[in-house]
Amino acid sequence: MKYILRRNRESKRYKGIIAEPEIRDFFLGKIWSREHAPFSKEKLDCYISRSFFKIKPAISIKPSSPSLFGKRYFCNRCHNDNQREFVEFDCARCGKACVYCRHCINMGRMSCCTELLVWNGPSGIFPKRHVFDWNGSFTVLQQQAAEELRESIGRKRNHLLHAVCGAGKTEILFPAVFHCLRKGWRICIATPRTDVVLELFPRFQKAFPNTIMHAYYGDAPEQKGLAQLVIATTHQLYRFEKAFDVVIVDEADAFPYTYDRSLQKAVWKARKEGAPVAFVTATPTSELLTKVKKERWGCSFIPRRYHGHPLPVPRFEPLWFYDRQIDKGKLPKKLMHWTKRRLGREEPFFIFFPAIPLMEKAIPLFQEIHPDICGVHAKDPERKEKVMKLRNGEIPGLLTTTILERGVTIKNVQVAVVGAESKIFTSGALIQISGRAGRHADFPNGDIVFFHHGISVEMDAARNEILRLNKEGFRT
Amino acid sequence: MKMANSGKKGDWMNRREIDHCLLCNAPLTIRMDWKRLFVNRFPQAICQECEGKFERYRHEGNEEVDSLYYYNEAMQDYLHRYKFMRDVLLAKVFAGEIHRHLKNRKELIVPIPMHPEKWKERTFSHVDELLRQARIPFVHVLEKTTTEAQAGKSREERMKTPQLFVLREDAQVEGKDLLLVDDIYTTGTTIRHATQVLMEGGAKSVKAFTLIRAKGGQEAIKASPLMF
Repeated sequence: MKYILRRNRESKRYKGIIAEPEIRDFFLGKIWSREHAPFSKEKLDCYISRSFFKIKPAISIKPSSPSLFGKRYFCNRCHNDNQREFVEFDCARCGKACVYCRHCINMGRMSCCTELLVWNGPSGIFPKRHVFDWNGSFTVLQQQAAEELRESIGRKRNHLLHAVCGAGKTEILFPAVFHCLRKGWRICIATPRTDVVLELFPRFQKAFPNTIMHAYYGDAPEQKGLAQLVIATTHQLYRFEKAFDVVIVDEADAFPYTYDRSLQKAVWKARKEGAPVAFVTATPTSELLTKVKKERWGCSFIPRRYHGHPLPVPRFEPLWFYDRQIDKGKLPKKLMHWTKRRLGREEPFFIFFPAIPLMEKAIPLFQEIHPDICGVHAKDPERKEKVMKLRNGEIPGLLTTTILERGVTIKNVQVAVVGAESKIFTSGALIQISGRAGRHADFPNGDIVFFHHGISVEMDAARNEILRLNKEGFRT
Repeated sequence: MKMANSGKKGDWMNRREIDHCLLCNAPLTIRMDWKRLFVNRFPQAICQECEGKFERYRHEGNEEVDSLYYYNEAMQDYLHRYKFMRDVLLAKVFAGEIHRHLKNRKELIVPIPMHPEKWKERTFSHVDELLRQARIPFVHVLEKTTTEAQAGKSREERMKTPQLFVLREDAQVEGKDLLLVDDIYTTGTTIRHATQVLMEGGAKSVKAFTLIRAKGGQEAIKASPLMF
């Protein structure tokens, strides 16, 4: 027998280190820049040398076909490929011509000398034992939709849950989420608005008390541990790559998701190969509906609210030259009468305005009728408090912009839209606005008025869709 | 510095490059008239709404240091995005204004320098870029000796800072009139230190210009979360 002396039998000798769970938990599924990683340089260097990380430059430069257009840049973090959003400059750090991506710059600048770390070490194991603590009950329709969703996800098929406002969409997600958690899967619930993340997180914490879950949004605090359930804004999905076994997109028709292609791409990028995506919305875009048909997704349709009453239908009221009247400091009569009736009957109300300047001019005019009426907009720091006050009855009504078109639930609220023909009020937006009324079982009807200067196509489309949903929902 | 795929050399030639407001991304409607067509080399970089949020500084005749804007909320946001988030492209926002203000100055323009380590960290010199985009030629005459930043210090701490600068070996300031340029003037400590070094180096006169002027008082200093 000949013994062949072999040197360097590296593979047979254990020279490795065990990856610290803290580092693994942080990086698993994420794509993070080396310089912003919250760990010491030495540690990261050590892990990199042991191949626990793969390094990618933040910006890839691809040669493009005709050299007329020069180089084509691609951001590996946000997947932006719109060349106009890349800026070339002379970098002092890498000493040469460098490029950065402006699209995702508010999450930290990605330039070609920025290095992205992708975890290449052992993956975590997610527990399969979870507690599901929810005492509510489903209506027949909700039960059916919850089953269909669970089925689709179990079969790794994409799914669309088309449910009207107030149908109880969040609860419908619970069985599907529980099913996935028990399989040891990692789930992400993404939504375009931070408000919704903050609303959903405590509800899920209550329903799944044993499960480790994190909430990600701009300015979110650091959370430790390996999160099996992640609730995040769609922007935060830029930070994830091939991380989730299932992604659920809530409010898939909200801004900015619908306008930003790269956010839509981020959803697909964040999931693992072959993982299903579920979209939940009251107003699916035609693009989405086409995809559902073509690619044969699962689809659930709930045209009724949880309390079983039909959706209140908006009515149209002409309010000619409302903007001129408000400009001149005069509140249009019909609007004033409507408001006075609400006050007289002690019904809380929302009055939607198409733009902040118009609303600001109108506020003092309304305050002449009642001093506590105030206005709310997206950048208002007291927004949440004002909504609370309306809910408690401390203020009789709120003037608002489209920021409150979704997510807000106030008992017995009445809704008016001033300038409903404005471009900003798409049919989706109007449907969402109408969805604020009649959500409570005790008050299933609310007055919804579209005050306009000429009926727009969108207004008609919104009204027809609501009528159609009511027809569908009450077919016997 | 240019937008990718501008195709042409010299980005200021291509007016079609910036079609969205650099600050709020609203589409820009070009305000065009004959004068702009032939004379204006600085296309609009921000929309009228964003422009309206900045507050022009009123120069009182006896002030040593001239500035263009006050440090209000909009300016705080701008500086944060430009210096802290390192969005170099924002150097174009005030290029036109800075150019108009400084083009007829006869003095030698001297930017306040950064420490080489900080320069590498930030990857660009914010003052140099402002001047570069404004097509104002400048010369480096000073060197920063410390990596300590003025930002984050209280008013007293700032004023007690020891000398921050030295004259460069290749500096030629003897008998010259100089104009120091910095991004923001708060207590004036930075400018004072630089002036001292330059005067000791033989300069005939030293004036100063900053893009931004902090409104006086402790509040203004505490409120500025400038990181470096």
